[in-house]
Amino acid sequence: MNVNRLRNLLRARPTLFSVRWNNSENKLAIYDPFYAKPKKTKETYLEVIKKFEDQDTRRRGHVEFIYAALRRMKEFGVQKDLEVYKALVDVLPKGKFIPTNIFQSEFMHYPKQQQCAVDLLDQMEDNGVMPDTEMEQMLLNVFGRRGIPLRKYWRMMYWMPKFKNLSPWHLPDQLPGDTLELARLAIQRITSVDPDTRVDTWQTEEIEASLDKTWIVSAQSRTQQVLLSEQPLDEPLVIKGPFNVYLRDQVVTYFILLGKIRPEYKDESDTDDVSNIPRPPGIPGVIGKVTLPQVKSTTHEQDDGTIVAVCATGTSSRDSLLSWIRLLEKNNNPLLSSIPVIFTLVAPSSDVSLFETQPATQNEKNES
Amino acid sequence: MALCRNWKTYSLQGYRSFSILCRQCDASALKIHSNVNVSPKRLLFWEKDRKGGYDAKEKVSTLQHIMKGFKEIKSEFKLLGEEAKEFLAADPLLIARPGETDLLWCFNEPKVLEQFVTTSDSDHNQGYSSCSFSPSPAGRALFHGYLDTRVPKDGRVKKAGYCALRSQRTRKAFKREATYNWHLYNTLVVKLRGDGRSYLLNISCEGYYDITWNDIYHYVLFTRGGPYWQIAKIPFSKFILGSKGLIQDKQSRMRLDRVTHFGISCGDKIDGPFNLELEYIGLEFDPTHDEDFAYEMYKTDRYIVGV
Repeated sequence: MNVNRLRNLLRARPTLFSVRWNNSENKLAIYDPFYAKPKKTKETYLEVIKKFEDQDTRRRGHVEFIYAALRRMKEFGVQKDLEVYKALVDVLPKGKFIPTNIFQSEFMHYPKQQQCAVDLLDQMEDNGVMPDTEMEQMLLNVFGRRGIPLRKYWRMMYWMPKFKNLSPWHLPDQLPGDTLELARLAIQRITSVDPDTRVDTWQTEEIEASLDKTWIVSAQSRTQQVLLSEQPLDEPLVIKGPFNVYLRDQVVTYFILLGKIRPEYKDESDTDDVSNIPRPPGIPGVIGKVTLPQVKSTTHEQDDGTIVAVCATGTSSRDSLLSWIRLLEKNNNPLLSSIPVIFTLVAPSSDVSLFETQPATQNEKNES
Repeated sequence: MALCRNWKTYSLQGYRSFSILCRQCDASALKIHSNVNVSPKRLLFWEKDRKGGYDAKEKVSTLQHIMKGFKEIKSEFKLLGEEAKEFLAADPLLIARPGETDLLWCFNEPKVLEQFVTTSDSDHNQGYSSCSFSPSPAGRALFHGYLDTRVPKDGRVKKAGYCALRSQRTRKAFKREATYNWHLYNTLVVKLRGDGRSYLLNISCEGYYDITWNDIYHYVLFTRGGPYWQIAKIPFSKFILGSKGLIQDKQSRMRLDRVTHFGISCGDKIDGPFNLELEYIGLEFDPTHDEDFAYEMYKTDRYIVGV
């Protein structure tokens, strides 16, 4: 009797197997609810999560769902949104994974689920999203206070606030989408070395000869104006660039106008020598000499040249840089009309056609 | 049949790429032997390799080894002579003058750059970043390269994108390992010109036992960007203890007399070129800074921290 039954089973097996095999080969199709959404926004993302929660009371496959959802975050542009992460944690069932004895808590109760939650927190950390106390309550309800995700959460809450505002150059949480605003931020950051610097936004339309109609963010301090006015007429100024500056993940290219390297200020006088004490210079404006002692060394005098101005333009083209020089000339730098300016740009930036139409101006630049 | 062939080519491809990767990188952390999804294993007991499996040392035969050794005898004896002279003649430093920077490395000469080694994830076939450390146009040192966070599709690497710069291990004659002694100072001074990215300063304090081999103290180096030089002064008390890049729960201050390496790394998850120009790296004693360690050292609940 038993032997017969076994034989039947064995006989039935290959057919059953082949049928299933054939079926699975022909009819397997992956349904991806994230892919099916035509509009990739936060609302549709949350909709998919809600739909998953509603379709099955047991929420089968929630670990796989969370992993799939984490991978799709960038596509929907929600990777920096705390609310979305909370919605994903909410998918995990409450109370089921809390260990009830020491053995369970020691040997990682429900390891895949715990690892999944840790990976979720990891992704938050990578994207710089700081969790809040509600997240802690949610994780406590899911894993209990001995859970690995809770340890991860506490570590994050200890360290992340320490690093959040550590940068000495503050940036807004949301960087502006407008390139002009971004360039202003970048130039302000670069020139924060001299608090006297004035950052101006000019339009190239002010110069009639300009071809590129764009904006220019230019920065120059009063010290730099003095340094520029002391540039000898026979030594050309140099425009260098484009250089990159990063504002988080945004890149702004900037150019610098370099003057000649000024001789180092040397003070050979011996301060301990009392044989010839000069008359004290007095207090400027009150007693004695009225002018301030000349500052010989400023931050703008770097070892590869004297930086006399910094700018970023909308197109980073040569024509816009030429307009920048003209605009600088208009704004309190009359010397620029008689000093030659050399363009040493690393790579031809922006349109190639732009300076094909421009050979005359190219010569003009070097001559003027 | 078709299915079978498909399976075969697939497995062959899998085998090929695996073998290529294994030839150069034998990192034990990346080895997963079965298909079972396991949580990362904890190396609590024993670590056999100082480099954690990332050993790039070229293997030479015994004969070549002896020949190379003979060639080095002259320079090693010279080092020994200097060492003896220093032992007899030099007085130990007792105080550091406040406000004066003592230079560790000044990158005015290209020779100093040879004391540093660069590494990036593409060296071990774990990514696509590349970097180099070379003289800059202004005559200083330039740490530059391209950071790429693309992950190679080998099924093992999860995250990629780092470039690192590290000084070589300081040593005495005949390859005896030594350590830097910085206990007179309390501030690290770096003169640099960056590109607005943030970098990581790494100070390794490798010890004798294997659990201390990967101890590195980290701190962030923010750069302003732009053409102006910037001097960053960072107190040693702010450095955070990490092991294999993971911040440790039980923190402790740096043993400044046991420093083995200094390094800078770039890994801020932003794709693109990076440029960090360095003029010097130095040490300073700041008497106004009396902080011992910047982070809380209070006791927490049992079985929560450090497990």
